[in-house]
Amino acid sequence: MMSINQLILRNLKKNLKNYYLYVFALIFSVALYFAFVTLQYDPAMDEAEGSIKGAAAIRAGSVLLIAIVTVFLVYANNLFIKRRSKEIGLFQLVGMTKHKIFGILSIENIILYFSSMLVGIFLGFASSKLIMMILIKIIGIEEVAELRFSNEAFVQTIVVFAVIYIIIMIMNGLFIRRQRILSLFQVSSTTEEKQIRVTKWQIVVGIFGLGLIAFGYYLSTELFSGNIVTMGALFLTMITILASVIIGTYLFYKGSISFLFNLIRNRNNGYLSINNVLSLSSIMFRMKSNALLLTVITVLSALAIGLLSLTYISYFSAEKTAEENIVYDYSIPNLNNAALFTEALEVADIDYTETTLDIVNVSANLSNIIQEMEGVELEFDVSMTNMVIASDGWVENLDLAESDTVFVNTNEAMMQFIRLKESGEILLSGETTSFELNYLGHEDVRVLPFRFANGGFPVAVVDETVYQQLKANLDPESQGEFRQHVGIDIENLDDLQEAEAIFQASGIGSWTAHESQLQVINNQKQSMGMMMFIAGFLGLTFLITSGCILYFKQMDEGEEEKASYTILRKLGFTREDLLNGIKVKQVFNFGIPLIVGISHGYFAVKSGWFFFGTELVYPMMIVIVLYALLYSIFGILSVLYYKKIIKEAL
Amino acid sequence: METSIMIGIRKEDDDMPILEAHKIHKSYGNKFNRQEVLKGIDIQVDKGELVGIMGASGSGKTTLLNVLSSIDSVSQGKIRIEGKEFTNMKDKQLAEFRKHHLGFIFQDYNLLDTLTVKENIMLPLTIKKVPRIHAQKLFESVAKDLGIYEVKDKYPNEISGGQKQRTSAARAFVHEPSIIFADEPTGALDSKAASDLLNKLSDLNQRREATIVMVTHDPLAASYCNRVIFIKDGQIFTQLHKGEETRQTFFNDIIKTQGVLGGVNDEH
Ligand SMILES: Nc1ncnc2c1ncn2[C@@H]1O[C@H](COP(=O)(O)OP(=O)(O)OP(=O)(O)O)[C@@H](O)[C@H]1O
Ligand SMILES: [Mg+2]
Repeated sequence: MMSINQLILRNLKKNLKNYYLYVFALIFSVALYFAFVTLQYDPAMDEAEGSIKGAAAIRAGSVLLIAIVTVFLVYANNLFIKRRSKEIGLFQLVGMTKHKIFGILSIENIILYFSSMLVGIFLGFASSKLIMMILIKIIGIEEVAELRFSNEAFVQTIVVFAVIYIIIMIMNGLFIRRQRILSLFQVSSTTEEKQIRVTKWQIVVGIFGLGLIAFGYYLSTELFSGNIVTMGALFLTMITILASVIIGTYLFYKGSISFLFNLIRNRNNGYLSINNVLSLSSIMFRMKSNALLLTVITVLSALAIGLLSLTYISYFSAEKTAEENIVYDYSIPNLNNAALFTEALEVADIDYTETTLDIVNVSANLSNIIQEMEGVELEFDVSMTNMVIASDGWVENLDLAESDTVFVNTNEAMMQFIRLKESGEILLSGETTSFELNYLGHEDVRVLPFRFANGGFPVAVVDETVYQQLKANLDPESQGEFRQHVGIDIENLDDLQEAEAIFQASGIGSWTAHESQLQVINNQKQSMGMMMFIAGFLGLTFLITSGCILYFKQMDEGEEEKASYTILRKLGFTREDLLNGIKVKQVFNFGIPLIVGISHGYFAVKSGWFFFGTELVYPMMIVIVLYALLYSIFGILSVLYYKKIIKEAL
Repeated sequence: METSIMIGIRKEDDDMPILEAHKIHKSYGNKFNRQEVLKGIDIQVDKGELVGIMGASGSGKTTLLNVLSSIDSVSQGKIRIEGKEFTNMKDKQLAEFRKHHLGFIFQDYNLLDTLTVKENIMLPLTIKKVPRIHAQKLFESVAKDLGIYEVKDKYPNEISGGQKQRTSAARAFVHEPSIIFADEPTGALDSKAASDLLNKLSDLNQRREATIVMVTHDPLAASYCNRVIFIKDGQIFTQLHKGEETRQTFFNDIIKTQGVLGGVNDEH
């Protein structure tokens, strides 16, 4: 007679092969979480945390991480326990109580779970060193990473995963309670509820889902359009967007895809090609559970793409923003200070060019060319607003007639709220004289740092003679704090570091509005670094977990369908035939959530990207392409897995 | 393409058997632990024959059927179907061969859960790329013959065991293969459903001149055959021909022979 302990041990050994997926999921999750928490508790982080209130960000990140890890582990456990339902039925058949079975499973699980956890913690510790080095490189903290094993991180990890363990055990308990001996005799494929018949209802459901998604997208474009002002309303709108897009996605999968597939299928009238057999009918067969899973994957992908895009947008834009904002290598709105700096440059034998401009504010009537945007309330009077003017002599390749004007110095974020017409008349007035000018459009040129041009408001370029007349007639009331601006560009890139040292040493930078572009870029990167790191970390986690979940699901399906492959091969389908069908299926399985996820991510990013940077398309494209590439690795892995199954099938 | 095959069969009807197996051996295991399951079997099956294979459990019936139907390879010997030898064909050629020449009926139905009855039956036609309209006709005729036309849009888990087995049979017949292999087709059916299926099979066998090789435990099923081959210890023990006998007397003969053969193969 075998004792319970022996039974447990034997089971454990026998199941280790089945367990490897689960073990992998566990180790991966623990390592990820531990690495994250270790970084959180590392002293080297204090600087970063202090500088940008990164502590809150990192805490929010860790909550999100726990949520995703929990979902991931619960899913992996479910798959795993499903595979063992026969075994559980067998135990029951030989007279073991459900209580006892639960006991055996729990002990088995404890051994496995906590030993994987230790491995995970070790791996997490090792990788956190690596991550720290990357992080330091991004943020530019000079301190050398000297990671210590953090007890706090250790305890926190243990606590979090112990809680997850309890959740998993509750799920297992429920599963065993539901388990009937009968299931022993049923094929494993019937444990999953399946949706076979497609009803008219689904068309309605599918269209309703699409409607919800569209509504969510619409709301997202409204989010920062200026319509929604109070914090509460903003929050409410965000929740509504999230809910309607997520629910819409689920209904879309549940309804539309089944419906569409069914349409194709009915049209074939029984004559299904192998590709259809392996993709269409197989996906439809599991649409009910697939719909939920695909929704989870889609949301994860959208989140990851959104986070990574915003991150990359800010990083990518850091230099561009600084260049747009400062325009020159050095911006000094004071002639004396500028002279001090240029003298020092000359002493150091550094070549430079100096651009001295007078900052002239006039009163502008733009009511003819500013297009009213629905719902946007402008905070200035369009018929009488302050505007800086520039001479056409300052802009290369521009020679305007006396009656014309062109706008420059526009800023992307500002342009979200002001829409300019193609052409029209504007009126520029000094104290007494006024000029009516033809507005010819705006050009992507910068002449002045934003802060001297009313914070990114366009600058009107006029003919030199008009400029001189307005300058002579300026209204002292409407002039800003600074009347002159000296822009200094260093001729030779190699000299820039030396020039920067001189600038810092001179202390000119401590005056208001005296700025070095290099320093602004560095500040920007440093303050973005922490956010970038957290967003990047979470984004990658989402990518890997969603890929893994899909892959696991495919492994599961593959095992379930193995018998079908045997039949098909007996009927005379070759391995290639089957594999091609599988490839089509994987294109759907991985492709649909990817495309929908990209679309969701795009709208999410589009709604508020301008808070993060100045360039949307390029960074987002890069992120999407990279994401799709990394993501398809999981698709390829699953095809390889299927290849093995197909080979073994006969 | 089909018609040419059909014509080919007719022409050589008399002088060439559909299936010809010569001295086939099959062993499992490795050099050190070898079990010879088939020990030199010769079989010939003529066109239009319904042949039964019987023997004790473990005597090698399934193994024999698998090698005859190209699903498993022989260790030694040659097998020809319609004059084509396939014992040394490659994987891909074998698949090609199966899809044109063979049909299968299995004990546990082997239907795809994800496909409707109709889609299941039409699979062999899709593989052969039979034109749609023609495929539709073939399907209708075989589904009506087997009495499953009414359930054509149902899924396998929505129909009875007997209906599943008839679906499986329809799939084996639909593309008019040279020969159909059946491994205990009535094994999972009750006696009513079993005789139902057997009547349909022998009906199709006569009307379509389909050649069927069937492994069975069940003397009743065997009594529907023209000829029954008994296997013992990996060799042919004896053969019974039905000839002009009634099914009842043939059934009795089979029972007697089974008695001589002994119940279970003793394992050494
Ligand atoms: N894949 C295999 N590997 C090793 N031995 C096998 C394999 N398949 C069958 N055998 C052995 O070959 C012998 C014959 O098996 P087979 O399945 O052909 O018997 P059978 O006559 O069909 O029996 P049953 O009536 O029970 O179905 C058995 O002793 C079996 O153990
Ligand atoms: Mg057998």
